[in-house]
Amino acid sequence: MRVYLEAMRLAYRRYRTYGAATVAGLATNAFFGVLRSYVFIALYQNRGVTQGYSLHDAVSYVWLSQAMIMPLYLWSWFEIADTIRSGDIITDLSKPFDYFGYWLSRDLGRAAYHLLYRWLPTMLMGAILFGLRLPHNPLTWLWFALSLLMAVVLSFCLRFAINVSGFWTTDVRGLYGFAFLFVNFLSGFLVPLAFFPSLLGSVANALPFAGMISIPLTIFLEQAQGWALARLLLEQALWLAVFVAGARLVMRAAMHKLVVQGG
Amino acid sequence: MASASIGLRLVGGQVRSQLQYRTSFLLQTGAAFLATLADLLAILILFHQFHTLAGWTVGDIALLYGLVAVAWGLTDMVGGGFENLATLIRRGEFDRFLLRPVPAPLQVLAFDFQLRRLGRIANGLLALGLAWSWGALAWSLPKLLVLLLAIASSAVVFFTVLLISAAICFWTIESSEAQNIFTYGGTELASYPIPIYHPLLRGLFLYLVPLALTSYEPALFILGKPDPLGLPSVLRFAAPLVAGAFFALGYGLWQLGLRHYQSTGS
Repeated sequence: MRVYLEAMRLAYRRYRTYGAATVAGLATNAFFGVLRSYVFIALYQNRGVTQGYSLHDAVSYVWLSQAMIMPLYLWSWFEIADTIRSGDIITDLSKPFDYFGYWLSRDLGRAAYHLLYRWLPTMLMGAILFGLRLPHNPLTWLWFALSLLMAVVLSFCLRFAINVSGFWTTDVRGLYGFAFLFVNFLSGFLVPLAFFPSLLGSVANALPFAGMISIPLTIFLEQAQGWALARLLLEQALWLAVFVAGARLVMRAAMHKLVVQGG
Repeated sequence: MASASIGLRLVGGQVRSQLQYRTSFLLQTGAAFLATLADLLAILILFHQFHTLAGWTVGDIALLYGLVAVAWGLTDMVGGGFENLATLIRRGEFDRFLLRPVPAPLQVLAFDFQLRRLGRIANGLLALGLAWSWGALAWSLPKLLVLLLAIASSAVVFFTVLLISAAICFWTIESSEAQNIFTYGGTELASYPIPIYHPLLRGLFLYLVPLALTSYEPALFILGKPDPLGLPSVLRFAAPLVAGAFFALGYGLWQLGLRHYQSTGS
């Protein structure tokens, strides 16, 4: 256990050294947050609550989704694929720990950093510029934290599996692009799933991608209460179990393919 | 003229090499198309729910979105080398460009010509097709001409942003995140009518990086809409002039930077 905690701590510290990149990235996230907020302000002209979302909810959703980009690491991540290409993966595999658990710990350390230095400041900027809707019920923070943690692990499993596909394909980047296209759209990152046409909305809600953005944000905005809330968390947990099992399965299949040349 | 033909040859070489890996090329072009298609779909979904935005229908927005998407796609196809000039400088690649008897900007352009950006352009053309088929526009020759000039002018504005950002690299040897705000951020901003934004943002994209003058203003003419900002109507036809002036400024800055450039000595 101590190994994993240490991996987590080191990953956190590694990201903390890129201070300038953090400030620049924050500016971009916030800029897009501002633009998307104005689009909703214009759309909501002469309109009240739409599909359960008031303008205040919609703008809060925009900033929440911008804030989620880095904790979930929705952009490129090829750390494992690069070690497969260079052969360095052998050193990691020969160490006496669970390979999946090791990378998961590192990713959780990274996510902790991004939560503190990207999620929080982005939300703060949104709150100052537009005024965000925060949870009324203090317990919501707890459910949100749980859902956010599951979202991070869901995202990690997907990134892990695609990276490990580097054992079979040389075009990990192409595959990654395709996968995250679906994530961007079907997770509710670009538009809240509540605004989707009914059929497309039901499909998107039934898919695991909803667990990355839509579910945690729905919980934060208190759009689901009581049983509905419990159901969302349960759905997310089920997909999480499937994703963890899937990622480990891909890893095991890759190990059968691995040939180490003596050197 | 001679350097133009060399430039074409350099780009031709890039294109041939990228077509060598046909599957990879098709995958990446397809991915670029789908990735931008997701943005277009997002707009369609929003309009399915909200119907209009500041008096603009989905067809009107599709025109504006398509115009900007094609323009940025064109620039992104040729601009990769400028976007990553800091890396070229650090690796000493840029010094090699200076030794050859071909203008350096042309070599930077040919160095990272990306044919797969056609995917992005295809998405913009799709949006323009949708705008046309939804009948938001009554076509005429002058309108078509204004549209083509607007696309070209917006592409020049985007390119100048990359050029200025690259010129700043000569001093800082670091690529700046600010260019993303004006390129990717600019495409997002200019996909919607400018009056919806805060006056500060409007001013930034009207007078500092004049993207709104090369996209929103011509679109007003094409769609036959009044301007709620009440800017002089002659501005609707000023896109090429504005883009030309902005480019001249950017090129001047590039030349200034180049004169200051001292290599990284590694």
